[in-house]
Amino acid sequence: MRSQAMYFKVRAGDKLADRLLQQNLAKARSKFVDARAAAVAAYDGDFEALRSAGQGIRDRVLENLDLWLETFEERARARGAEVLYARDGEEICRLVTGIAQRHGVTKAVKSKSMLSEEAGLNAALTAVGVQPVETDLGEYIQQIDDNEPPSHILAPAFHKSREQVADLFARAHGKPRKTDIPEMTREAREVLREHFLSAGMGISGGNFLIAETGSVALVTNEGNGRMVTTLPDVHVVITGIEKIVPRLEDLATLMRLLPRSGTGQDISNYVSVLTGVKGEGDRDGPSHLYVILVDNGRASLVGSEFQDMLRCIRCGACMNHCPVYQTVGGHAYGWVYPGPMGAVLTPLFTGLGNALDLPHAATLCNQCGVVCPVRIPLPELLRRLRQRQVEAGLRPRGERIGMRAWAWLARRPRLYRLATRLVVRYLNWLAEGADRIRVMGVAPEWTAERDFPAPQGRTFHELYAQRRRTGEE
Amino acid sequence: MAGAGPEGGLAGRGTMEAGTVADDVLRDGRLQGGASGGWAGSAREQILERVRGALGRTSESRARALADIAAALVDRGHGPRPPAAADLVERFKRESARMSSTLDTVTSLQAVPEAVSRYLAAQGLPRSGVVWPSLAGLDWARAGLTLEAREAREGDLVGVTGCFCAMAETGTVMTCSAPESPATASLLPETHVVVVPATRIVQGMEEAWQLAREEYGMALPRAVNFISGPSRTGDIEMNIVLGAHGPYRVHIVMVRE
Repeated sequence: MRSQAMYFKVRAGDKLADRLLQQNLAKARSKFVDARAAAVAAYDGDFEALRSAGQGIRDRVLENLDLWLETFEERARARGAEVLYARDGEEICRLVTGIAQRHGVTKAVKSKSMLSEEAGLNAALTAVGVQPVETDLGEYIQQIDDNEPPSHILAPAFHKSREQVADLFARAHGKPRKTDIPEMTREAREVLREHFLSAGMGISGGNFLIAETGSVALVTNEGNGRMVTTLPDVHVVITGIEKIVPRLEDLATLMRLLPRSGTGQDISNYVSVLTGVKGEGDRDGPSHLYVILVDNGRASLVGSEFQDMLRCIRCGACMNHCPVYQTVGGHAYGWVYPGPMGAVLTPLFTGLGNALDLPHAATLCNQCGVVCPVRIPLPELLRRLRQRQVEAGLRPRGERIGMRAWAWLARRPRLYRLATRLVVRYLNWLAEGADRIRVMGVAPEWTAERDFPAPQGRTFHELYAQRRRTGEE
Repeated sequence: MAGAGPEGGLAGRGTMEAGTVADDVLRDGRLQGGASGGWAGSAREQILERVRGALGRTSESRARALADIAAALVDRGHGPRPPAAADLVERFKRESARMSSTLDTVTSLQAVPEAVSRYLAAQGLPRSGVVWPSLAGLDWARAGLTLEAREAREGDLVGVTGCFCAMAETGTVMTCSAPESPATASLLPETHVVVVPATRIVQGMEEAWQLAREEYGMALPRAVNFISGPSRTGDIEMNIVLGAHGPYRVHIVMVRE
C-alpha cells in the first residue's frame, strides 16, 4: 500500500470537516473503550500482572529472535508446512502469486491480514488473474467500496454508517436495499459462503506463531478465519517475523490479554491453533500450507531503541483510546496502521521523512501506554521519533529557528525574566481583566477554536522574589 | 539486492513447470545455512543475518541461547491466572451462557440424542444434518434425527460434535480435528450442538494443553479450535450480530453421569 502519511495534516483537516464521518465516529468511539474497561474490571485475576507477563513473553522471544525463528521453522516444516521468508511487500506479492500459479488457483479467499495491506497484495493477485475476496465483514465492505483501505485494524469499516453499507450492498449484490444489520449480515454471509466453497486458496494472517509446536494461532469472531484455513486446498499464512511465542502456555496468557484489550471480550469466539497439513484419513483441511515470515522493516527494529514496538500484538487498544484517532479516524494516518501504534510503525517502516507529522499526531497523554497489553511505552517511542527528526534536520525551517531562539533566550536568566514579564503583561492586557483570552493577538489561529487561559497575576519569578523579600517560606 | 534474482524466475510465470517462481521459492526456501543461489533462500539468510547482527550473535551466545530455548520449551510453568473455580461445572455453565451458548444437562451419553431432539424441536430447527463419526454409535434415529456421520458440506443445517475437553474459565469447548472429528461440522452448519462430558471440563487453557500433550504427545492435531459461543460480528456500526460466517447458535449438551 502506497503511504499517504506525509499528508497527515491535510487529511486530518479533511476528516474534521467531514460531517458524516464525524457523526459515525461519535457513535462508535466509546464502544471499544467501554467494553475494555468492563472486561478488565470483570477479570477476577490481576490484570496488571498479566500485562507484565505479556511483556515478558514477547521480550523473551525478541532477545533471541533468530533462534526462535529457526526453532519455529524446523518444527513447522516437520509437520508439512513450507516456511518461506519475504524481505518486503513486493516479495510477499511474488511469493503468493507464485504459489497461486503453482496450484492453478483463480480465486483466493482472505481473512484479515494487515501484512497483505502492507504489501498491496490484492492488486498483485488481480494482476495475475487471481480474484482476491476479503471475507472479514469489515474488510469485505471496504473491498466492495472500490478497495478503500481499512480505517481500524479490528473493525476495518469503523468509519462507515449502516446507511453507507446498505448502499454498497445494494450496489454490489444487486438485491433490494436492506438497513437491518442482522439481515445485512446474512446477505453478506450468503454471498461470501459461495466464495469460501469455490476458492482454491485461503490467505490469512497469524496472530501468533508457536515455536514449541510449529503452529499458527488465529483469533477471530466471525468464523471466516476458520473457513479460509479449512475449506480451500491451499492455505497461505502471511505474518511478521516478530509474531513468535515460545509455548502453548504462553498463548494461554496472551489470550487473556488480547481480546480483553481489543474488543473487550473475555475470549474471542474462535481461537484456532493450526499445525501442518491435512493428515492421513482427514476429511477436511488444506493439503498445502505455506507460512510466509515477513521482515518489511521489522528486523531493523531488533536491538534498536524502538525494539519495544515489536512486542505489539495488534489488539487495537491504543487507537481505541487515542483522542487523536477518535477525532480524525484511521484514514488520516495514511498507511496501514492508524493510531499511536501506526504513528510509531509508519515512520519506522516507510521512512522517517515520509511520515513527518505522525509522531506529532499525539498529545502524549499516555492513554495508549496505560492500556497497551504488553506495556509498549508508546509516548516515549513517539518522543524518540520526534528527537530523531530533529537530529536528522527534518523539521521545518521556521520551527528550527524558533526553537533555537527559545534556547538562546532560556539560557540567559535576566533576559528570560524580562521577556516573561513582558509576555505576562501583554497577555493580561489582552484578557481585559477576564480569566481567559478570546482572541490571541500574535497568534489568532490558536484561539480560533478555543480560549486561552489568562495568566494569574505576575510571573513565577516575580512572586518568588516577593516572597523572599517578605520573609515567607 | 531484492529484485536482482527474481526476474529470471519470473520468466517462467504462469507455467506449472519446474523453474517457476514458486518452485524456485519452495526449493530454496528449504535451504539452510545460506548455500542457496536462489532469491528465496537469500531472503531467509538475509533476514536472519539482519536479526543476528542486531542481536550481536556469536557462536558462544548461540550455544547458550539454544540451551535456554530447549529448557524453556519443556518448562511447564505458566503466567498469572485468575483464581481457580471451586466448581468447574458451575463456572462452565455461567461462562458459556455469557458467550451466548445455551446448555442442557443429561445424566448419560445414551440420553444425548433425546436431548438434541428436544432442543431442535423447541427451536423449530431442522432435524437432519451431520454428526462426528466418533458419535455415530448413538441411536440418533430413535430420537427422530437423521444425522450422517461425516464432515459438513454446504446445505447441512445442523452439526453435532463432541469435544476434546472444555474450559470453565471462559465457557469454551476445545475440538481437535481428526478423521472421526472433522472441523467443518462445528463451522458450516447454522446450528452447532456440542456434547460435553462434565468429566472433561478443565480449569483453563493451560490444563487443556496439558491434556492434549498427554493424549497426543508432541504432535498436535491439524486444527485445534477453541469455540466460545456462536460466531459474531460487530463490523457494522459496532452492533453485535450473532451468526456471521459460522453457526448462529451453539447448544451444549452436558453429560453428567
